[in-house]
Amino acid sequence: MNYGFLSSFFQKDLFLVLGFVFECLKERGMAGSNEVNLNECKTVVPLNTWVLISSFKLAYNLLRRPDGTFNRHLAEFLDRKVPANLNPVDGVFSFDVLIDRATGLLCRIYRPATAEEPEPNIVELEKPVVGDVVPVIIFFHGGSFAHSSANSAIYDTLCRRLVGICKAVVVSVNYRRAPENRYPCAYDDGWTAFKWVNSRSWLQSQKDSKVHIYLAGDSSGGNIAHHVAARAVESGIDVLGNILLNPMFGGQERTESEMRLDGKYFVTLRDRDWYWRAFLPEGENRDHPACNPFGPNGRSLEGIKFPKSLVVVAGLDLIQDWQLAYVEGLRKAGKEVKLLYMEQATIGFYLLPNNNHFHTVMDEISEFVGSDC
Amino acid sequence: MLRYDSTSSSAGSSSGSLSSSSSSSKPPQQDIDGLLAGAGYKVRSSELRQVAQRLERLETAMGNSPADFSQLASDAILYNPSDLACWVDSLLTEFAEPPPTCSSDFIVDPVNNQTVVNSAWTTAEPHTPQVHQNITYDEQQSLDNQLTVVTAMEEDSGIRLVHMLMTCAECVQSGDLSLATSLIGDMQGLLTHVNTVCGIGKVAGHFIDALSRRIFQGMGGGSVNGGSAFENEILHHHFYEACPYLKFAHFTANQAILEAFDGHDCVHVVDFNLMHGLQWPALIQALALRPGGPPLLRLTGIGPPSPDGRDSLREIGLRLAELARSVNVRFAFRGVAASRLEDVKPWMLQVNPKEAVAVNSIMQLHRLLGSEQTRNSPIDTVLSWIRGLNPKIMTVVEQEANHNQPGFLDRFTEALYYYSTMFDSLEACRVQPEKALAEIYIQREIGNVVSCEGSARVERHEPLAKWRRRLSGAGFRALHLGSNAFKQASMLLTLFSAEGYSVEENEGCLSLGWHSRPLIAASAWQAVPAWDNHMSSS
Repeated sequence: MNYGFLSSFFQKDLFLVLGFVFECLKERGMAGSNEVNLNECKTVVPLNTWVLISSFKLAYNLLRRPDGTFNRHLAEFLDRKVPANLNPVDGVFSFDVLIDRATGLLCRIYRPATAEEPEPNIVELEKPVVGDVVPVIIFFHGGSFAHSSANSAIYDTLCRRLVGICKAVVVSVNYRRAPENRYPCAYDDGWTAFKWVNSRSWLQSQKDSKVHIYLAGDSSGGNIAHHVAARAVESGIDVLGNILLNPMFGGQERTESEMRLDGKYFVTLRDRDWYWRAFLPEGENRDHPACNPFGPNGRSLEGIKFPKSLVVVAGLDLIQDWQLAYVEGLRKAGKEVKLLYMEQATIGFYLLPNNNHFHTVMDEISEFVGSDC
Repeated sequence: MLRYDSTSSSAGSSSGSLSSSSSSSKPPQQDIDGLLAGAGYKVRSSELRQVAQRLERLETAMGNSPADFSQLASDAILYNPSDLACWVDSLLTEFAEPPPTCSSDFIVDPVNNQTVVNSAWTTAEPHTPQVHQNITYDEQQSLDNQLTVVTAMEEDSGIRLVHMLMTCAECVQSGDLSLATSLIGDMQGLLTHVNTVCGIGKVAGHFIDALSRRIFQGMGGGSVNGGSAFENEILHHHFYEACPYLKFAHFTANQAILEAFDGHDCVHVVDFNLMHGLQWPALIQALALRPGGPPLLRLTGIGPPSPDGRDSLREIGLRLAELARSVNVRFAFRGVAASRLEDVKPWMLQVNPKEAVAVNSIMQLHRLLGSEQTRNSPIDTVLSWIRGLNPKIMTVVEQEANHNQPGFLDRFTEALYYYSTMFDSLEACRVQPEKALAEIYIQREIGNVVSCEGSARVERHEPLAKWRRRLSGAGFRALHLGSNAFKQASMLLTLFSAEGYSVEENEGCLSLGWHSRPLIAASAWQAVPAWDNHMSSS
């Protein structure tokens, strides 16, 4: 029995310097621009949204270390998670599936409860879906590649909503995160999940005995959705559509929106840089194609059967120039893309159903998926 | 310092403390912001503005030194992140006043009478009492009837087997024993086609056995799953070695006990199930290294009487005493032999009023539950005398499962999910015979849940949500386990176990699970002082 490590947990370095540092901070006082920022922020989002996103921001600041490491223990402690629930809540039940033992890749599956079988049991989990056309949405949660999980409360809520509005089965992928697992782990996990979904006979639509797959994600999840779609078409498997919510893209250059909005609405350039450094292979810069798919190291999708895309851009998101460049890149390659530019929206607007942007976007997603049924 | 649901209000907060909320017309849960609750945070709508202000203050404090903030803040011990107001406050406190300066600590070595500088030890941060909203939320929500499952990819015959198990259990519930019997035969046949080395095949075999025992012994009665106390101890020890559940229980409880004993010179731990005393060496060591020196430690170990004249409790006590002596901790042991926990009377524990008492129950409380709610049932009696001891802390670890439901089929279904997940996790263990014996240990539990009834069925596991209600109703309040305990548990897993285990924090309690399914939950409690009683009614 190793008792030694116990004592290290009772160790606490007391910083004599802490008091000193705080005195310095107090003296610096409220920087004028900071004060303005905080107030600006609060006028564009409802108070509870502001509290939610600000507390994420605060927590995330605690977790990112300047040396590029990440306080994973504290991250898992702070993240609010919910278990899967076979008992339908608002007509949706969920269960977790281990789809790859080797990597421990879990997915949470959300299905609508049917009128005939309102309370599913273990043998009904993988009962074939009923319907001519049943959309299956593979969802990649956000978190800038480092935060959150498939069982995070905010994403569990979002996925349940997607089931309802799209009459779909949603598969939320618990991909491996940075910095412990850099590129291409998240994409590999996305691909594993994609292949798994595509090979489930119980997910096939009755019309053509095929799985009707949509890829969706927010922030880093949107980025993953793009790359998995690219890989899918390369392998000759159809993807019916991509839904990218505030997708996380970037590049080496500093764009106008980045400079104008830096630090203004919850997000700073500095933290964006940190996450890219944590995800991209060491030594690579932000023009790596993972980050900048249509940049100097990217490639055009011309002539490739890339799915139609619904791209949602928040007007107060500092990386919007990159997101708009992504949309432009799709257009130039002749791909079908619908851009939803939500002017007064900040990041995370889709997490709480308390604003117009939320409802607009949900309607658009519903239509986007529904148009194939 | 442990955090607790306190009725005292902090100077900095103007939000209602418990004493005023009890007289307010609105029950607390109606004031909770529903959207934030969906995101996992409990904040009163009326306090949103204040919480926002505090977040702003913190942001300002961060100012231009995010790097320093991150370094310093990550050393803070945080509690109950769901209570957003509270943890924002605790961070603010962290940065609002300079901590005590670090002084060298001296431990007097009683043997050599020399002082030894122990610079590894520093005092814990004093925490000012914070307002804790004693929010009782509606546990009737999904939490209560949670039915969670993690499935691995199974072949068709595995699914068929599960189907038959469920049908068989249904027959047992409805009394159609002849159909149930024929299904047993079919399933045993099917077992030969299924991989019984892992996954559903392995656990199915145990459930088939348990079902057939139930059927062939008739309903009710059923033999207690044999095994002498000696055998049980061996199996328990191997279960301890093969997987991290018991280690998690011990380390988490010890951490809480250690913190509760801070500042006390005479401490008394009452262990509801001593077994081989595996939990205690670590606590003895930790107390030995305590700044200011170890307390006088008394340990009262409860366990079944030994049949053959041996005094196994005393033997364990002697071994622990030896360890304590080797690290210069004054130690006294008392064994209390009782076949059932409800046979123990508080006077047997000989608790001294001047001592700080810790009551430690690792998977024992559920044995006191009956399937009916009767007044003065064993659980009520025991909880009542525990409360009478006024312990500094009561650590409770229980299986996170709903195995005490009255309906057999529901119980069976829940057990099938629970134990198949547990068996799945055991696959990661490579050590024999630990793994094989651990499996027998679990198998016996399955047998008890499935094939026993009445007083013979002792494995009456209930989920944390139910224990919360029960313990609050019995006059206890939760002491929150913090980020330090969480971190310790996570690191324990990295050291001892395979990938796939996960620790989760749930409103001040910690649970350990396999992948996303919690299997065991740890919590800490303190008796609400009697004069507080009318205010903390649940």
